[in-house]
Amino acid sequence: MSDAPALVVENLSLAIGPAGLVDGVGFQVAPGEVMAIVGESGCGKSVTAQAIMRLLPDAIRQTGGRILLGGRDISAIPERAMRAVRGQLMSMIFQEPQAALDPLTTVGSQIAEALRQPLGRVRGEVLRMLRDVGISDPERRIDQHPFELSGGMCQRIMIASALISRPAVLIADEPTTALDVTIQAQILDLLRRLAIERQTAVVLITHDMGVVADIADRMAVMYAGRIAEAGPTAEIFAAPRHPYTALLLASIPRLSDVPKSKLAVIEGRVPNPSEFGPGCRFASRCPRADARCAAETPPLRPLGAGRLTACFHAEPPHGTQP
Amino acid sequence: MRARVSPGIAIILLLLAGFVLAAAGAELLSPADPLRQSLLLRLREPGFASRTATYWLGTDDLGRDLLSRILYGARASLLVAALSVSVSLVVGTALGLLAGWFRGWTAVLIMRFVDTMLSIPAILLAVLTVAVLGPGFIKLVMVLGLTRWPRYTRVAYAATLQVAGLPYIKAAEMAGCGATRILWRHILPNIAGPLMVVATSEFGLMILFEAGLSFLGLGIQPPYPSWGSIMSAGRQYVTRAWWLTVFPGACLFVLVLCVNVFGDWLRDRVDPRSRSR
Amino acid sequence: MNTLEITGLKVHFPGRGGAPVRAVDGVSLSIAAGETLGLVGESGCGKSTVSNATVGLLSPTEGSVKVLGTELAGASRETLRAIRAKAQMVFQDPVTSLNPRMTIGEAVGEPLLVRGLARGAALRDQVGALLEEVGLRADHAGRYPHQFSGGQRQRIVIARALALRPALLVCDEPVSALDVSVRAQILNLLVELQARHGMSTLFVSHDLAVVRHVCDRVAVMYLGRIVELAPRDALYSAPRHPYTKALLAAVPEPDPVTQRAKPRVPLEGEIPSPANPPPGCRFHTRCPIAVDRCRSEEPAWRAVGAASVACHLA
Ligand SMILES: Nc1ncnc2c1ncn2[C@@H]1O[C@H](COP(=O)(O)OP(=O)(O)OP(=O)(O)O)[C@@H](O)[C@H]1O
Ligand SMILES: Nc1ncnc2c1ncn2[C@@H]1O[C@H](COP(=O)(O)OP(=O)(O)O)[C@@H](O)[C@H]1O
Ligand code: SF4
Ligand code: SF4
Ligand SMILES: [Mg+2]
Ligand SMILES: [Mg+2]
Repeated sequence: MSDAPALVVENLSLAIGPAGLVDGVGFQVAPGEVMAIVGESGCGKSVTAQAIMRLLPDAIRQTGGRILLGGRDISAIPERAMRAVRGQLMSMIFQEPQAALDPLTTVGSQIAEALRQPLGRVRGEVLRMLRDVGISDPERRIDQHPFELSGGMCQRIMIASALISRPAVLIADEPTTALDVTIQAQILDLLRRLAIERQTAVVLITHDMGVVADIADRMAVMYAGRIAEAGPTAEIFAAPRHPYTALLLASIPRLSDVPKSKLAVIEGRVPNPSEFGPGCRFASRCPRADARCAAETPPLRPLGAGRLTACFHAEPPHGTQP
Repeated sequence: MRARVSPGIAIILLLLAGFVLAAAGAELLSPADPLRQSLLLRLREPGFASRTATYWLGTDDLGRDLLSRILYGARASLLVAALSVSVSLVVGTALGLLAGWFRGWTAVLIMRFVDTMLSIPAILLAVLTVAVLGPGFIKLVMVLGLTRWPRYTRVAYAATLQVAGLPYIKAAEMAGCGATRILWRHILPNIAGPLMVVATSEFGLMILFEAGLSFLGLGIQPPYPSWGSIMSAGRQYVTRAWWLTVFPGACLFVLVLCVNVFGDWLRDRVDPRSRSR
Repeated sequence: MNTLEITGLKVHFPGRGGAPVRAVDGVSLSIAAGETLGLVGESGCGKSTVSNATVGLLSPTEGSVKVLGTELAGASRETLRAIRAKAQMVFQDPVTSLNPRMTIGEAVGEPLLVRGLARGAALRDQVGALLEEVGLRADHAGRYPHQFSGGQRQRIVIARALALRPALLVCDEPVSALDVSVRAQILNLLVELQARHGMSTLFVSHDLAVVRHVCDRVAVMYLGRIVELAPRDALYSAPRHPYTKALLAAVPEPDPVTQRAKPRVPLEGEIPSPANPPPGCRFHTRCPIAVDRCRSEEPAWRAVGAASVACHLA
């Protein structure tokens, strides 16, 4: 993972009307790396993904920032050129695979379309890809329609069609949220294997800390449109520095905790974009908040070892030598 | 739930209020008795001033003041539309609720009936029934009301089916509510939105139906004025007295337009798909 | 007497093309007073169908459901209404669980009002007390549901379920639709209310960690049947049934160290259709240790240590 990053997002800001949705989000992903963006619903994960793909709904504008794909800024290239980027250099998969697939076209043709070829010409390649994403009996499946397949199989088809053109970057927006845990485990294993084999940079969007722990090399925790904390997965889980990350991790029931014990709670609820104030957006729920937090935006600052946090009172790293 | 009202809608609402006030205050606003005839004053053009009065919109073939007749006619139009819409709203909604709540055979029977009714052209049905029953205000209201309920039933049925499957209805059952309370307190308020949308679009249609039937002589009977009957009588004098058809026709056009624009606006507000989230 | 006693419950729905959907196909379980039983399994295995049948929102095709000794199967409308005063339900989606056109005070007070248990000032006081009990303010009673967040709405739903002081609370995925940071609030509330009132609870969830946190015993469902039923600690520390093992292995734990060290027990394939369940052991199409016998012979329900398991090889 010493290579140049495949995708760099710098200072991305998005707004709807006067309300800012996403504020100064930045991260990078290297080839073969899985980078997770984790956060609660509405924190801006999906719009960030859509902005990277330049697929934002009309109501939402990009108000700042750059998106570098293989070193090239794609945030201002014409839509025509962008169409070549999508699917060839960068692909996306979604939460509801059945809804994202065309119900009237066979899965084989849909995968071939990603290569901009008729199925007849690339049938062998499509079959190989189907086998690669773990579809059993691909000769039969290739001519079936999405409704004949289960949700898990549809997600495999989505992955096949996203990766067949060997894009440098795959954006996966909650790819396993609609699936059962046993199927989720299969899909996560598949994503990890393909990322390494094909050296694809994967941006995995999820709200599930378990999924992050399972496959992400690095992670960024988002809260209310901003990155609260980012860094290598193992280190953030071992010693979260931002109060939100720490509380969130403490509030999740685990297979190892004491049953019926009181879980740590984060009081209150996530603010809506219209309620964003000038200071830290976590201030109203943060046990460590003080006057400065309510007035000033904490910048995302480096803590060393590739870690970043946006908090004035970041927890000191415990368990380390003085 | 408070809506931002755009200037366009504000104008429409003002115009609608104007029509309602004109109809309600016909006695106060009318310069003359709409029924008083005068052979001397036949077919006078708009703005004609006699010794006693000015006929702003002219007079008809029996020398009656057109402005007064249009004001009273507005009352007839709005009253017929409002009453017939109320009748069909109540009948249609009740049947739709029953079909959606009991489903099964009840629903099959009711919805078959609805399909049959909807397959007959509405105006034909109305014309035929009036032709058989004979004209008259109450009969007109009943005929329009009792032929126009199926659209409400369709909408109420679909909405009831959808709402009845929601957890809060299960919760009401768990609470111990009977069917009446569930239908009245839990389902009806939550299907009222789409029904009001149908009601406004039907209201515009009922105004046109009333005018059409009266024009054919099957609605409001002479000498009482309605826009349709005024136009019908004025039809013979189109070349000599254009005002007899143009003024009531214009009123009809503007009123129906206002109602429909209002209905579209209401639909956009009620339909969750068009509401930005 | 057990608060809930389900024996041989079957609920079949008319399916497309003749074969009925065997959503629940022979489930037996019981919940003692004050006990919380967890019901886990994958989507479509019949968890919601069991919970709806438990409170009489669905009638059994076959079998018996007894709440405090009263039979629900074939019960009259009056009996059902009386039983529902003792068995209440909390639903998954707090948005659709509350009538948007009713104030939350009316919603919480409705069970008391329609059963003639309180009215006027007494009703208002009781509603206020219920709202406070779930961590809301009594003076919020006049507000409408849309003025509350998802977590607060779930509190309102819980208050409504508590209004009749039920002996049994059925919770169908009560935290699945909530934000992660709000889940813990609701779980803490449920645990606390349960300790205070000593209700029995049927707690349905697909999240094994959540179930472990709140339940005393756990039933694992697969394709309309219970495959393993065991006290919590036995189930989580020594799962017997291959499906339970696979489920536990598939839960992604929010801890990279244990999660990545975990042996992978990948479960092949997907859950078959309940309209056409496989013969023999229903799990044999996906079971990593299936033998010939599994394909033809249905495993009997038997005790293995503290657990009851339906597997030939457990
Ligand atoms: N009213 C119905 N008509 C026909 N089939 C139904 C009906 N309700 C449920 N089913 C079917 O019964 C089976 C069990 O459904 P149920 O809702 O109980 O599953 P569940 O375990 O609660 O799943 P989930 O985790 O998705 O909530 C499913 O196959 C479902 O499709
Ligand atoms: N098409 C849209 N129109 C208006 N607002 C939107 C749209 N899509 C998302 N939003 C808003 O943007 C914010 C972030 O949404 P999203 O990125 O979807 O969140 P998540 O982190 O759950 O993926 C939310 O406040 C959401 O309501
Ligand atoms: S900046 Fe202040 S309010 Fe924000 S997380 Fe840090 S301590 Fe809490
Ligand atoms: S009975 Fe056979 S197929 Fe079923 S779970 Fe046991 S070993 Fe697997
Ligand atoms: Mg999203
Ligand atoms: Mg369910």
